[in-house]
Amino acid sequence: MKLDHSAIVEELIRLLEAALGRRQAMSADTALIADLGLESIQVIEYLCEVEDRFDLAIDEDTLADVQTVGDLAAVVQRLLNG
Amino acid sequence: MRLFEKFKAAETTRALLEALPVNPTGVVIEEVLSATEAVVGGRHTIMAGTNNYLGLTFDAAAIAAGQQALAKAGTGTTGSRMANGTYRAHLELEAELAAFYELPHAMVFSTGYAANLGTLVALLGEGDAVLLDAEAHASLFDGCRMSGADIFRFKHNDPDGLANRLRRLGERAQNALIVVEGLYSIRGDCAPLREYAAVKAEYGGYLFVDEAHSLGVYGDRGRGLVESEGILAETDFVVGTFSKSLGSIGGFCVSRHPELALFRYASRPYIFTASPCPSVIATTREALRRIAEQPQLRDQLWRNARCLYTALAGLGLRLGPHVSPVIGISFAERDVALRCWQGLLEAGVYTNLILPPAAPDGGSLIRVSVTAAHTEAQIERIISSFENVVRQHAAGGCTV
Repeated sequence: MKLDHSAIVEELIRLLEAALGRRQAMSADTALIADLGLESIQVIEYLCEVEDRFDLAIDEDTLADVQTVGDLAAVVQRLLNG
Repeated sequence: MRLFEKFKAAETTRALLEALPVNPTGVVIEEVLSATEAVVGGRHTIMAGTNNYLGLTFDAAAIAAGQQALAKAGTGTTGSRMANGTYRAHLELEAELAAFYELPHAMVFSTGYAANLGTLVALLGEGDAVLLDAEAHASLFDGCRMSGADIFRFKHNDPDGLANRLRRLGERAQNALIVVEGLYSIRGDCAPLREYAAVKAEYGGYLFVDEAHSLGVYGDRGRGLVESEGILAETDFVVGTFSKSLGSIGGFCVSRHPELALFRYASRPYIFTASPCPSVIATTREALRRIAEQPQLRDQLWRNARCLYTALAGLGLRLGPHVSPVIGISFAERDVALRCWQGLLEAGVYTNLILPPAAPDGGSLIRVSVTAAHTEAQIERIISSFENVVRQHAAGGCTV
């Protein structure tokens, strides 16, 4: 099943809320570090959750330009579509 | 951006630390009194935040060997291992390390950091895949990054997470490198090495274990967690340091793979630095003999570790999951951790304070470590000091 960008964003936000342990207003423009204040280890663990949820292997270089939830959704979408 | 603008964040961090009553990164050891005591802030202090697990920094034979080497071979080699910096003693130490692990190949580096960096950049290159534990030491991450390999992180101590990532890599898994530590240095928790070895057997790949904090501490012969977990044969590369149980400075890699000998021609952190000075090699060799010949040091270390862990757990503190010579105490509040740490220091007990973002879980942590050289009286004093600071600063809610 192919997921579109907005569905991936929605799922990424759900995983983020689980990682943060709280509900928070978020969108594709939410920055993972600047807006949410995630520590580096939290980012790594969150990305592991994302990989497991979508059954993907995401290497660190691929994430170099990722700042927002939307950026991450674009990476996930690209990898899902091969 | 101007050249120095990037230091603004560091400047802010420094200002925060300097505003604290005692800057935890600015502690000065004014005088070293023994393997377990020093003068800190003008106060006689028990050192309970070192990596001197076997207490060998004042081993009489090691000191004598170092003094002799200093007198006979001078203060330094002034050159690379690939030029004028390989003395007979460097080769003898490599042979002794290989014999200690019963492996055919060993290589000595100038620091533990260089050992991790040097082996990883030699082993990995662009297009390779490396699977790295989320809490792996900075030197391991730096080595992976410097190599240009594709880095895939997995959750700390999570064999299932590792297996999933190897599965997703498909055929690439056969040549992937799995990089983990034995004993982790902050919380004192151990890697599930047997499970990792099983994952490797299922999916393929190579296993690299950094035993910096486990050498001399685990195993009947002190060869680390790979020995105590019975997976030395399944481990492709064991890396370690001389600056913890061996009480000096330097690092090494041992392996059954003959290609390790070729790393000398491919490892820039090995080639482009001066080799360890003769006195360091001499003290390291003596300390390695102590590890091999005096298992009673390890027995004493574990008696001390069990005693301290049990007592601190009894205070209701939240400790790491495994009893080990490294005890990480987690605090929900940074200020409570800070006050406890400072209270301990004022009581003459030095521990390590780890504040966000340095702690593995992003929280605040006091790291306590014991050595074989701590006396019963010193252990009791560490425990009573903890009782006092917990009562004073953290009663009713210091734990997370």
